[in-house]
Amino acid sequence: MEDKAKSVGPTGSLSSDLFEPDDPEFAEFLQTTVLPGDEQAERPSKLDNDDSSSGERGLTLSKPSLKRRHSETEQPIPSNPVQLAQSVEQPVTLKNADIYGAARFGHFGEYMRRKRAKLQIQNADMDVSENDDSERRTIFKGLAIYINGWTEPSVQDLRQLIIKHGGIYHPYLDKKSLVTHIITCSLTPAKIREFKNMKVVRPEWLVESAASGSLLPWKNYIFRPGDRLQESQGTRTTQQSLFTISESRPHAITGHPNNQTPQEAPQSEVNPFNDSPTTHPATKTFDSRPLYMTDPGTYEEAARIPGYAAHTSNLMAERVMANPEWRAAHTSIAPDFIEGFYKNSRLHHLSTWKAELKNLVLEAQIRAENGAMVTPSESSHTKNPQVSRKLQDDPIPEPEDGVSMKGAELTIRTSPKGKGKAKALQIERVIMHCDFDCFFVSAGLVSRPQLRGKPVAVCHSQGSQGGAASTSEIASASYEARSFGVKNGMSLQQARKLCPTIVTIPYEFEKYRQFSLQFYTVLMRYADDLQAVSVDEALLDVTSAVSDVKNQVSRLPVSEAITRDPAKELAEKIRDEIRKATECEVSIGIAENILLARLATRRAKPAASFHLVPEKVHEFLAPLDVDDLHGFGHSTRQKTQEKLGVTTLGELAKKSKAVLCDALGKGTGETLYKAIRGIDERRLESDKPRKSVSCDINYGIRFENGEQAKTFIYQMAQEVSRRLNSIYMLGRSLTLKIMKRDPNAPVEAPKFMGHGVCETFSKQMALSGPNGRPTSATTVIGDHAWKLLESFDFDPKELRGIGIQIQKLEMSSNSGSTEPGQAKLPFKPVPESPSKVQASSSRRDSINNPIPPVIVNPPSQDKKLLDGLPKKAAKPFVPDLPSFSQVDKGVFDALPEDVRKELEVEYKRRSHSPMPAQTSSVFPIRSKSSEPISDYNNRITVKGTNVKRITQQLAPRNRASLSPRKNMLFTKRDGPSALQVSEAELEKLEIDPEVFFVLPIDMQREQLLMARHSRARGASVSGDHKVIKLPDRFPSTPQRKKPIPKAVHPHVPFLKQQGKQKGEKLYFTETDDVQRVIEVWVEGFRERALNRRDVDYFSKFLVESAESGDTGMEKAAAVMKWWLTLLRRYWEIWEHNNNGSSEDKKFTGKPTSEIIGRTWWKAFREVKGKVDAVARKRFGGSIAIK
Amino acid sequence: MAELDTSLTFNQTVNGMLEFVEVAIHSILYVRQIYPADLFVRRKKYDTPVFQSRHPALNEYISGAVKAVGEELIFGNVDKVVVVIKDQEQVPLERYIFSLRSMLHVEAFDKDTSVEGAMSAAKLGQYFRSFLIKLNMVESQLGMLELHDNASFAIVVELKDKTPTEIHEKEPPPWVPADIQHTTSGASENAELHLLRAVDTGIINLSLAVQESEEKIRRMDNKGSKAIDKGKGKEKAS
Repeated sequence: MEDKAKSVGPTGSLSSDLFEPDDPEFAEFLQTTVLPGDEQAERPSKLDNDDSSSGERGLTLSKPSLKRRHSETEQPIPSNPVQLAQSVEQPVTLKNADIYGAARFGHFGEYMRRKRAKLQIQNADMDVSENDDSERRTIFKGLAIYINGWTEPSVQDLRQLIIKHGGIYHPYLDKKSLVTHIITCSLTPAKIREFKNMKVVRPEWLVESAASGSLLPWKNYIFRPGDRLQESQGTRTTQQSLFTISESRPHAITGHPNNQTPQEAPQSEVNPFNDSPTTHPATKTFDSRPLYMTDPGTYEEAARIPGYAAHTSNLMAERVMANPEWRAAHTSIAPDFIEGFYKNSRLHHLSTWKAELKNLVLEAQIRAENGAMVTPSESSHTKNPQVSRKLQDDPIPEPEDGVSMKGAELTIRTSPKGKGKAKALQIERVIMHCDFDCFFVSAGLVSRPQLRGKPVAVCHSQGSQGGAASTSEIASASYEARSFGVKNGMSLQQARKLCPTIVTIPYEFEKYRQFSLQFYTVLMRYADDLQAVSVDEALLDVTSAVSDVKNQVSRLPVSEAITRDPAKELAEKIRDEIRKATECEVSIGIAENILLARLATRRAKPAASFHLVPEKVHEFLAPLDVDDLHGFGHSTRQKTQEKLGVTTLGELAKKSKAVLCDALGKGTGETLYKAIRGIDERRLESDKPRKSVSCDINYGIRFENGEQAKTFIYQMAQEVSRRLNSIYMLGRSLTLKIMKRDPNAPVEAPKFMGHGVCETFSKQMALSGPNGRPTSATTVIGDHAWKLLESFDFDPKELRGIGIQIQKLEMSSNSGSTEPGQAKLPFKPVPESPSKVQASSSRRDSINNPIPPVIVNPPSQDKKLLDGLPKKAAKPFVPDLPSFSQVDKGVFDALPEDVRKELEVEYKRRSHSPMPAQTSSVFPIRSKSSEPISDYNNRITVKGTNVKRITQQLAPRNRASLSPRKNMLFTKRDGPSALQVSEAELEKLEIDPEVFFVLPIDMQREQLLMARHSRARGASVSGDHKVIKLPDRFPSTPQRKKPIPKAVHPHVPFLKQQGKQKGEKLYFTETDDVQRVIEVWVEGFRERALNRRDVDYFSKFLVESAESGDTGMEKAAAVMKWWLTLLRRYWEIWEHNNNGSSEDKKFTGKPTSEIIGRTWWKAFREVKGKVDAVARKRFGGSIAIK
Repeated sequence: MAELDTSLTFNQTVNGMLEFVEVAIHSILYVRQIYPADLFVRRKKYDTPVFQSRHPALNEYISGAVKAVGEELIFGNVDKVVVVIKDQEQVPLERYIFSLRSMLHVEAFDKDTSVEGAMSAAKLGQYFRSFLIKLNMVESQLGMLELHDNASFAIVVELKDKTPTEIHEKEPPPWVPADIQHTTSGASENAELHLLRAVDTGIINLSLAVQESEEKIRRMDNKGSKAIDKGKGKEKAS
């Protein structure tokens, strides 16, 4: 037994490795403790008490631990058992109580710590329980494994397996750096993203390794969501599944991808390759050169693509699109669509790199100009093996997210740019055009030497997946493949028809990036000036380098020197160096200008260099076609063909400049005229500033409604904004480019999820942030873009491509605080995510002191490594959330659910915490992860950047628009810098405090001074001084403004009459109407006795009228006048005959006309008297009615 | 002229009224031949021909009086502005009564706000034209003054009853207490009132009336009878 224990000893000591570096005490304890259940030792009585008190311990106790024996062997065995007990007693009671003691309230962290400790004890038990085969135990030595999610075999089995073979099993993923591998059978998308930079392996790795007795390469067991092997891309990607499904759909559907051609693939719909393209009327009949692309945007283009059926709908796509879930996960509706799109977009990578390369070149040039850089000495440009080796060996650190060239540095040749350029002007310029030979393929072949010499193509679709119907686009084809007629841009399906044996290899963006950097590093050494054309292509001015070589050559014997071409020698040297650095072939064209250099490269290819000397230019150009020239395309060729009947440069050279300008337009014509003569005055555009930043997506755009489109636009805006911010630019103008399905095109494009034939639209508008300044704010860009999209008024279902481009860029520093009256945005500089910080710091370290990057490290070493850079690693950026009241509710609601929940939890937590103001300190504590922390908090820390971004979004939008002046105002008001004047004093000085406080501070001071002076010296001084006082006319509270005044019109009396119909009432107010009524009345009573009531009725109206106002009186007068006129018409003779014998005739039965007349006059006078009375009151006198 | 179409503001109305009163006073003086006709110049106002005095002192007097009216009108105190035409014995013969009835009180901050429901400026201009046309015609309705060179006139402001006289601290008020017989309340029952025109702006309602005093009517009657009596003689005389 003792022997056994001893043999275990060395491995048993490993147990300390089981424990995290954070728990050294516990490790120590394990070494020293005597565990209960040990049959040998006398158990200290205290342990018994513990035993009974802790129920959980039963589990540990069930298996007697050999551990103790081991630990005992290491100790000197005390002769006296009591002594032993005494010596052990102290730690046991303390530590065991620490682990197995009762959990105290509020000690959640303690619980977790204990739990882990217990689990490690368990592991330790397992470890020693079956230590029969010590050899086997070393297989997994150094591995720290975390198992996530459901696995086959189960976690328990795996755990046992790991422990048994010397590995370390981590039940919790507290620190990613502690874990070397993650074992899983399935991962959620979020986890996939989280683990994208970790080694995620399938459990078979462990099982098979254990079975074979040796550690198999983990790379063979890399876990992939789609279970698709693609080494270079690691395990990233949610939406790789998009491609997986799209390109290998039979795989997904039939389940037997490898030996089965897709049964329901739309092969029958696809025209055979050699069929005449389409019958669409737009097809150009003459001389259409075949075009190779998978997703043409116009019918013209489509027509030129052999085998492309523009009118054929992709049935597969139609089917999958019918599934809403699939749609939600894989089209533009998916929340992480943009992210995924860019991760897999070749063009995106290329363009991003190009921009980055340009920046690197620019920076290098600036450094060279400043002379700050110590570059390889003049002679060193011949060769600097150290540099190149360094580049090769130096593991360009794994980029944290995506593949980026950030952090790389290029050094330019010593000769400063200015000097080089000056030289270039005097001496004949030498321009080189360096271009990789089928870059993607050659880069891919570096690691696949077995494929050399075979037709190889780089595309997304792999193996036999997707079969013959794959629409995956070939990004690059090897020369062997090209000899079959395969061209870049063809779909895999087309290529297969031409070359059935073609082998596809996947994209390896990381490698491309690396090669590209090396390529440029080499070129930089020779270039006076360099223009980054793309990742694999560059134009460089090597005039001075060539003259150097010339000088060397001139020292040689003349006979030798004549035969040698210094430029070509230099080119070969460059090629050698690049070959050494990258194992790839580069072709170099040499000429006196850019245009010819490019043409020379064509001749040089493959794998050679060619110097196009000026004498041979004409000869060289003559047989070429127009579209062979860089910058002249298919349309120019068509025009020359159409209008001039020739396309070769030799023929065109005979045409005059005017003819060319006529046919092609002035600009193009002139350029072509010069180009044909080998003249190209363009300069290398090494320092061309970035003119625009854009984001175009035309793959997978399938919306169902405007809301989705809007969301997507804002996501794109975010992307654009991110890009702007990354180059510290702000934009002033925004262009929205829209691709809309052509009405004749099928709903689903022939290319799976492609845009198909489209109508394109674009609109531009000024972009202005708060205060009309250029901006890079997501919301502003989103708002503008959405406004533009809305203005198109398209059916969202028809959208196939969206592009947002920001132009008129300005450096964000330019629009800094120098200008007055402009708001300074309260943005903090965007910090790197914690993981990035770590990465960059480690990168820096690895450059400075050559610590080899540790890939697989036992945690103990890992710990040391981490200790080396503790601060950087331990202090990730601490994002802080705005207070909940500041959170924009709309944005908050729009957040993805998981993020929202996190925030909600966080806010809830804060509301409970006693000091909510100091919440920012909460995060660093938690993120140190030295203590156990709950899962969600951990995730918050991990997603540091995310939270930051969210907080920025959540922050109230108007905050940014607060102008500094306003700011000043408010701070002055509240802060100590404001004038300390009490309201009472102001009132004493007759200054209205309300007005006073609104004034700017200097005005306040002035007013106060004046007021005080006038107080002190008497009012005489202050004659010209205006006391600030609210005019008393103004209401003190302007918001309680009274309604605007309303005109008062006098009540207009009316003459009411019974209408002809029953119930009908007639109202007369106008003078004319009343006059007519009077007339009818007078007429009606010419022969009859006047009715008293009628008189009263009129009299009342007239008096009321006269009383109502001057207009009424005017009216009454007019009516009276008319009445008088009427009376005079009939009874004039009795007007003034007042004292006639009216009484006498009263008795006659029938009223005579005299009596009637008199009564009329009497009534008139009576009424007039009443009206006069009114008039007299107002004006005096009586109304003259004559 | 969109401004003319919107309803009047208080200040616009006041200024419009004052302007009209001034124009009208000039016209009255011309029409009633208080001053010789060649003292006046023909002008165009409110799209109608009007006559304006060329005599600076007279103009100053009129405009000063109107301005003083304005100071009271602003506060809505004015009831009437009366142009009294009298003979050499200060006996009022005719009164031209501008009745300015302020219909509403407008707060100071609203003086330049257009009053809801009020008349538009363009329309008011047209009313003024009709006022002036009537005024120019009033001759036909009124008896001859026959004052020759002995006529004079006065401008009387009648404030609303119970309006306290504004106490101006700095300068004495431009007004002197009027002869009671010059005011409208001094007019007898037999005075004859000719209502020329009235307008209802909704802010300040204006009407113009001409009152022939009892004295004038009596004189006219006397003259009339004299004329009948001495018709022959007059013919002889002429």
